[in-house]
Amino acid sequence: MRTPITRRDAMKALGASGTFALAGCIGETGGGENQTVLLGQPTVSTSKWDFLQPAVTAATEMTIQEVNDAGGPLGNDMEFKQRETALKPQQARTVVQQFKNNDGATVIGGLLSSEVTPLVDFLTSQEIPIVSNWLGTTAVDTRGGDHGTPDDVSDDEWVWRTQISDSIHTAGAAQKMVSEGYENVAILNGTAQGERSWADAFEKWFTNGGGEVVNRIEVEEGKSTYKAELDRLFEADFDAWGLATGLNDVVTILREWSNAGYGGQLILEDALRDEALIENAGEQAEGAWIASPTGQGPAYDAFEEKYKSFKSDPPALHAWAVTCYDMVNVVALAAHRAGSADPTEVEKNLGPVTRQGGTTVSNFADGKEALDNGDEVQYQGAATPCTFTEYGNVLGNVAIERVTPSAFEQVDVIPASDLENVLDEY
Amino acid sequence: MGIAQNVIFGLITGSYIAIAAVGFTLIYGLINMINFAYGEYITIGGYVGFVLASVADLQIPLVIVLAVPLTAVIGWTLSRAFFTPIRETGPIPLLLTSIGLGLILRNGVRMVAGAKRRFFEFQQATVFQFDVLGGLQFNTSSLSVFAVAVAVFVLVHVLLTRTRTGIAMRAMGDDETLAEVAGIDTSTIRSRVWLLASGLAGLAGVLLGVQNSVGPFLGYDQLLVVLAAAVLGGAGSAYGAIVGAYILGIAMALTVGILPTWASEFGTTVAFVVLIGVLLVRPEGIAGKEVRRA
Repeated sequence: MRTPITRRDAMKALGASGTFALAGCIGETGGGENQTVLLGQPTVSTSKWDFLQPAVTAATEMTIQEVNDAGGPLGNDMEFKQRETALKPQQARTVVQQFKNNDGATVIGGLLSSEVTPLVDFLTSQEIPIVSNWLGTTAVDTRGGDHGTPDDVSDDEWVWRTQISDSIHTAGAAQKMVSEGYENVAILNGTAQGERSWADAFEKWFTNGGGEVVNRIEVEEGKSTYKAELDRLFEADFDAWGLATGLNDVVTILREWSNAGYGGQLILEDALRDEALIENAGEQAEGAWIASPTGQGPAYDAFEEKYKSFKSDPPALHAWAVTCYDMVNVVALAAHRAGSADPTEVEKNLGPVTRQGGTTVSNFADGKEALDNGDEVQYQGAATPCTFTEYGNVLGNVAIERVTPSAFEQVDVIPASDLENVLDEY
Repeated sequence: MGIAQNVIFGLITGSYIAIAAVGFTLIYGLINMINFAYGEYITIGGYVGFVLASVADLQIPLVIVLAVPLTAVIGWTLSRAFFTPIRETGPIPLLLTSIGLGLILRNGVRMVAGAKRRFFEFQQATVFQFDVLGGLQFNTSSLSVFAVAVAVFVLVHVLLTRTRTGIAMRAMGDDETLAEVAGIDTSTIRSRVWLLASGLAGLAGVLLGVQNSVGPFLGYDQLLVVLAAAVLGGAGSAYGAIVGAYILGIAMALTVGILPTWASEFGTTVAFVVLIGVLLVRPEGIAGKEVRRA
């Protein structure tokens, strides 16, 4: 006669099978360290900066392919995964957690000023390196990096960037305005963190240079018209004006400015240095200046050649795609030097691969070879020399360009050496 | 420049809102539903206009002439597909369906057209300056928008008061059962309301696109203000929606023009303060029917 299965028997069986399954799970992750470097890349394909994403994605794909063709960090193919933040801090926060906890990412490669500024403390607490090719905000001028003690992560703030700070290129912009004899300016800027950061920094440097900001208006972006804001701005008497909003709003503002015939010398936020501006408002903005990172460091030419031959019709190149090349390379070199894909070990090596001295390299292949031979490496970037400061920042040249109906024309380059002393700490 | 100039800016902004708000309020008043997908009708109008202008290389007046009926047909088709089958289920299912449809359309547009915003070719305007009331400035672009809006309001007024369809619409708005008893084909009238309201959304979309740019969120970004204008005017009243839209437009412009510059970013907020203030005094809105209190 068969013994009936009791509820207690069923519970025992379930408990045993659950324990067995759990042991299997533990065994899966505990059986050896994962040696694959995964780059989690937040994207902004559905935000006002959507037009910048294609080139950044193309540069990421190209660089990772180049890294993997050279054998990859730790002898494994480097991988990357994208998740969309839509430029919303709350979504960015979720994306970072998903990369870290669900995907097991080694490094987060990205995030913009509007996302990082309200999340600095959160990002630091996550203890996963954030290496951003986008980040310009002045809010992290003295936040981030390893504080000059790479082996001691207790004082690290985990945020690094391969893009120069707004402090640097706005100082260049202000310097240019003052040297051209402009004594007073007005500023119209959006309320997003990136735009505010640019406007605050530009105001600071222009005032420090002896100029005066006579009027400043912040606008709610995404409106159908900015006539009232322009009218209010131009009530004041000034020589020139600065403009910092997203591209869509800038086109509307420039068209309305042109239609109203206000005139005045214009200087534009660096993020607007894109072909889309020329295409949609090049005629209206003719004569405007734009000061931005040149995006052309020691290894730029080699990068540009590779980028243009990577795809038959690559997206138009811009500064944030060049800094992306540097971001992927320093991550790969740091992981290889660390001998581990563990985020903390990579964090300890981000500074050393750019400032330790040793063999100068501008790509992963040369760096890997040097490291495998027991040498130290010093990465020289495509966008900047890419020497990380103790706060995880880099320095680079600033280009002053003039907008024409068909292109941006370079009129001046301010070398990084002229600007490196503008900040006491950086 | 002073208050008068900002009032003029407000009239221009109000014109976009008013055109859309009339369509929105017609649906509310005659179909008895709040259509949260209405913003996407505006978006569709913008894209239809952009395609006609950029691909077919048509001038803006002709773009408007073609985009309005095209959007009207698209809007009518959507209503037949999504709202007519559940019309008898009551306002809540209709409301939720419209929210869902809006979401589907918004993301559908993004999938098809991409997130990138599109710009109409720039129209250089002629500026007119007058040394009165602290200095006034008009340009042909703004005047065109205002003129189109006024023409639309006149046409809507004529339609509602001088045509059999309009009279039937008003009768249906007052009492649908009584209108049916009187022999009015309410099904046909509902179709015409959808055509008219969707056409107005299409016109607002083209005008906004020409003024600003066209993107997946073009109409969605305006929906809250359009809804506010309709409520302020007295939900269901086309004339009230026009007045409400201009009040909000002027309030937003005056916020920028008069309040301290640090407050300039709060234009929309101030518009809603005005809305709440009016509704506290007059819950039925400017031109709405008196609200019965239990």
